[in-house]
Amino acid sequence: MGLLTTETPLSTALEQHPSLIPLVSRFGIRLGVGDKSVAAVCADHAIDERFMLVLMNTYLFENYFPEERLKSFHVSQIVDYLTKTNAYYQHSQLPNIERHLRSLIASGGGENPHLALIGRFFDQFKASLLASIAYDTQEWFPYCLSLTTENERPDHRPAQAPPAGETAGQLGDLRSILVRHLSGQYDDNLAYAVIFAIGSIERDIRQHNRIRNRILTPIIDALLCHESH
Amino acid sequence: MPRIALILPDVVQEAGVRALLERYFATVEAESFDHPADIAGEGAAGGHFDGYVTDCETFTAHLDFFLPRRTQCLVLAGGGGRRSTAAHLGGSLGGGTSEAMPRVVGTAEPLEHLLEAMEHTLLPDRKRTEESGSDELSGREVQVLQLVVSGAINKEIADRLNISLNTVLTHRKNITAKLGIKTISGLTLYALMHGYISADASAL
Repeated sequence: MGLLTTETPLSTALEQHPSLIPLVSRFGIRLGVGDKSVAAVCADHAIDERFMLVLMNTYLFENYFPEERLKSFHVSQIVDYLTKTNAYYQHSQLPNIERHLRSLIASGGGENPHLALIGRFFDQFKASLLASIAYDTQEWFPYCLSLTTENERPDHRPAQAPPAGETAGQLGDLRSILVRHLSGQYDDNLAYAVIFAIGSIERDIRQHNRIRNRILTPIIDALLCHESH
Repeated sequence: MPRIALILPDVVQEAGVRALLERYFATVEAESFDHPADIAGEGAAGGHFDGYVTDCETFTAHLDFFLPRRTQCLVLAGGGGRRSTAAHLGGSLGGGTSEAMPRVVGTAEPLEHLLEAMEHTLLPDRKRTEESGSDELSGREVQVLQLVVSGAINKEIADRLNISLNTVLTHRKNITAKLGIKTISGLTLYALMHGYISADASAL
């Protein structure tokens, strides 16, 4: 399937690419979309169809990343989307992995030390991801929004964010460790469920970081540069 | 990484084969050439390829080049006439067994035939290569791993093991390639799982 267009029935896109379902749900679109096009569904929900379309295509095709078009959207749209993806990690994906992982650890019957170590590794990953989300929510995103309003602005740009690359790398490592190095007693289906859930959040975070680092940050840099002249 | 030479004058055919290679044979590196002489001109080292994809006309017009490499060749024939083209090529090659013949596939044949032929021709040594590879860490690599997860920087590792900085970097690269693990915390988890460090010595 090629790039989606505004005339593509949203149902076709979601049936062929179920991974888009959590993305459109961030815009308040729930299942039961009928046969309406992307444009029609967006109109029903008062969503900018161009913005959602570019996000859907960016999410589907790793090599598709129209920087100029993404940079043409308002900072508030981008921040709103990134805030929603952060909320999705925090309230859906992390608990989902955790639930499967705890069951996987229990499936070892307390006799597989590897599983307990993997559980501790995940706890570390979770803590670093939550710290990164807290930074976005409390410092970086409010700062970005403040630059686009007439309200009083903070004097200083927030300090450096926690390294997002390390967080994404930890997920890849966790997947590799499970696939390549897991041994001892464990439940096969639960291991698969954990690996599948990790792959899902890993891909999502990769897209999130692309938009955050290659779109939002350069826009903010450009705004600051413009103000200083 | 296997290297494949594409000698296909038809640009659409060349683009199609490239797209298939990218889609199904991501580990293959493909280079395009207008003429077999361009490959020979690269010299012994640069001119070595693991496979050659060409068309029937090019193959028969440059038998002196393709004949010694015929078992590494995939020849695209117009339409679905694989057998007649193979027979034609067989005549050009003076007969011989099917093992010594280039693999021919008709461009109108189902895609699965083309993919099967590509896999057979372009990745013939896959099994042997996989068997010869090992993801076991060497003794030295284990020492480097232990120091990395203890927090030592490359210079400290070089001093402790009395090896050069470049050697440390090579060991680290090999460790990552063998284990598929990139982050320090991931390496720490691996080291713990294999008993290379104790739980007391780690932050995990």
